[in-house]
Amino acid sequence: MSMAEFTPDTTIRLGAHSVTRRFGELVANDGITFRAHRGTIHAIVGGNGAGKSTLMRILQGMDRPDEGVVLVDGMPTVFFGPADAFEKGIGMVHQEFMLVPGLTLLENLVLAQEPLDGLRRIDRKKALDAARKLEREAGVTLDWDMPVDDAPVHVRQIVEILRLLYRGADVLILDEPTAVLAPAQVQELIVLLRKLRSEGRTILFISHKLDEVMALADEITVIRSGKVIGAMKTAETSKAALAEMMIGEILSRPNARPSPVGRTVLELRGLAAMDARRVLRLKELDLDIRAGEIVGIAGVAGNGQDELIAAVTGLGRIERGSVRLDGEDVTKLGLRARRERGLSYLSPDRAAEGLCLSAPISENLIAGRHRSAALCKAGVLQKGAIKRHVETLLDRFSVKRASAALPISSLSGGNQQRVAMARELDGNPKLLVACQPTRGVDIRGIAFIHQCLLDYREAGGAVLVISEELDELIALSDRIVVLYDGRVTGEVARGSAKVEELGRMMLGETRKEVAA
Amino acid sequence: MIDNIIHAAFIMTTPILLAALGGLVNRVAGLVNIGLDSMMLAGALVGLMVASQTGSWPAALVAAALVGGLLGLLMSLTVTRLQANEIIVGLGFNIAVAGLVRFFLKSWYGTSGTLSLPDVAMLPRIHIPVVADIPVLGAVFSDHDPLTWAAWLLVPATAWFLARTRLGLRLRAAGAAPQATRALGLNPLNLRDASTVFAGMMSGLAGAYLCIGVVGIFNEGITAGRGFLALAAFYFGRNRPWPTAIGALLFGLFDAIQIRLQGRGLPAELVQTLPYVMVIVILTLVAITLKRARNKGA
Repeated sequence: MSMAEFTPDTTIRLGAHSVTRRFGELVANDGITFRAHRGTIHAIVGGNGAGKSTLMRILQGMDRPDEGVVLVDGMPTVFFGPADAFEKGIGMVHQEFMLVPGLTLLENLVLAQEPLDGLRRIDRKKALDAARKLEREAGVTLDWDMPVDDAPVHVRQIVEILRLLYRGADVLILDEPTAVLAPAQVQELIVLLRKLRSEGRTILFISHKLDEVMALADEITVIRSGKVIGAMKTAETSKAALAEMMIGEILSRPNARPSPVGRTVLELRGLAAMDARRVLRLKELDLDIRAGEIVGIAGVAGNGQDELIAAVTGLGRIERGSVRLDGEDVTKLGLRARRERGLSYLSPDRAAEGLCLSAPISENLIAGRHRSAALCKAGVLQKGAIKRHVETLLDRFSVKRASAALPISSLSGGNQQRVAMARELDGNPKLLVACQPTRGVDIRGIAFIHQCLLDYREAGGAVLVISEELDELIALSDRIVVLYDGRVTGEVARGSAKVEELGRMMLGETRKEVAA
Repeated sequence: MIDNIIHAAFIMTTPILLAALGGLVNRVAGLVNIGLDSMMLAGALVGLMVASQTGSWPAALVAAALVGGLLGLLMSLTVTRLQANEIIVGLGFNIAVAGLVRFFLKSWYGTSGTLSLPDVAMLPRIHIPVVADIPVLGAVFSDHDPLTWAAWLLVPATAWFLARTRLGLRLRAAGAAPQATRALGLNPLNLRDASTVFAGMMSGLAGAYLCIGVVGIFNEGITAGRGFLALAAFYFGRNRPWPTAIGALLFGLFDAIQIRLQGRGLPAELVQTLPYVMVIVILTLVAITLKRARNKGA
């Protein structure tokens, strides 16, 4: 490759040319070439583990390619750190926001480029003026003296974006920007990004949510297994075509065959529970789930879902009411005792509660099952038996891995979730409490996990699904129960649920009102 | 009697307050400094030596601050550059400096434990006429030395520095989110080192105060764990300068009471534990109050 191949071209604001990055055996980026044009929104689309994050780290100067170059204004450029990229006007909004807790929004905005007054103090007025100006440009209003810790997630994201603008960036890289947002906030973000584009800025965003990609991007580059599969204008493609490129095949929708329901597995009566701040979140909840049935819980976050999970699993205390598991009163029993009686729990927070990221895949897979006689004799873990058990499970759940002895953090999010799922379905539980079962998982992983849940149901299992994805609830649930302000405000049977209707019930309208 | 105790309480507060403000800034920048006591001890010894050699108390304070700052820098580099555990390194410094001091006293002065030097320049006392004769107020304001005044003036100065200056903001950022700070092109490790040097200097001053402000001789047990009282003070104050100063004053008060109670029939060894027992009692009470407030509020 010679420099003669490249000519300065300011229309190509940011790009990559044959970028390859290896981590040991794994080729995370394999000759990736793309070009993001000035004043456009460019989407990098790919599933979990496609190599998107590695590419973003390279474009932002946090990592360097083994081969190939990053292009800035058409010319090859080497970044030795994020500061170099920033000098070229390239800034990134991370998935886990890089704001400093304990500082106010304003302090976060100006940190590292604080305006000073004559006495070398921070000039609060100047800082606030700058903040107000950015605010107007972005068409939002913020309380700048609010500590970051009190700011809702979408506000933090806006502050991150404004901070990049404050520091003079005109290329914004956004890593899965909508993953943490509610639908209405996604719309706000889309409006903001379009506005920034109209001002001539270039936006590069990574996503696996195809609806947003179609709505927002001007141009799209699809990557799969570290390679570019296709590059196109959004107008010339469709969601289905993108999905096919992303995963390499058309997935059939998981299908829920009618299956007979059996005895009642979970019986909740008059359940009331408080949150950590002693606010009553769950008020008089009754719910039955029978064998062979999936019941979905729909609701805006904070309407009692967390307390419901805590009450069913035994992780939290309840004020009143009773929990019966397979006919037995387990109200006073802890999580371990409930698990021994057939409860399984897929945590909504994979990183903190569901898995131990620094522990090997194998240990994560037997955690909680390590007391079983087959895996542990007289307090000594049976290495051979565990290995066989682990490999069988990993194969059954098609977890791609180099070795089960590696830490589970070496797997992509989707594969981590498969491991968690495999563990929770191991040992024939009677009831599975599945919370946000596909959070941060790509299309193929979602289809797989949905199929697992449906198979389990057909085999006579009972499932309580709590999810923020209405499509997911509609696809899986035999009944959807709407939770509002700690009570059940409606119930919809399979086939009769519509997103719009559910949305209104989630805001407190009863079924009758919605129908009227 | 009450005036005596109040006056003594302020004297006993000064070393705790100095070290606590240093440790507070250090903790805000992300390092919990367990080694404050070692920097205090080194400052005490060097302060006494220089005060005796030069006959100048300002020179003694400068020397004590320098040696404290140097120890702080060494400790900080071990933690930030070699990624050693800050608790272990802090404990190590306390033990190592105590050992070195004992060795130095033995090999240099041929004494064990206690060092008494001639012509030690003590800190002057500032007498404020009229005020000095007012009960209570006189004990609070008059006949204190410059370092005590400096320590109390540093309380609002520290609060202002952390809240309003560029360096203060960056120190807070380095402590609360080093990753994010680095992503903005700042160097959180340098910031942290600077804060530990500051903590070391303040502890060095605190040590010198014990020698040339209070007793006039050096003893290897002179700090009597006051570095840890300082630690307790900024935990009590939850990193805010004024509440930290209140904490330091509280511990200083119990220190003064303890000294008064000695020789009144109670076993001296038991009485001496009073400030330390009170630390545990007070921190427990604070924790309980906070928990109650959290549960009630919401």
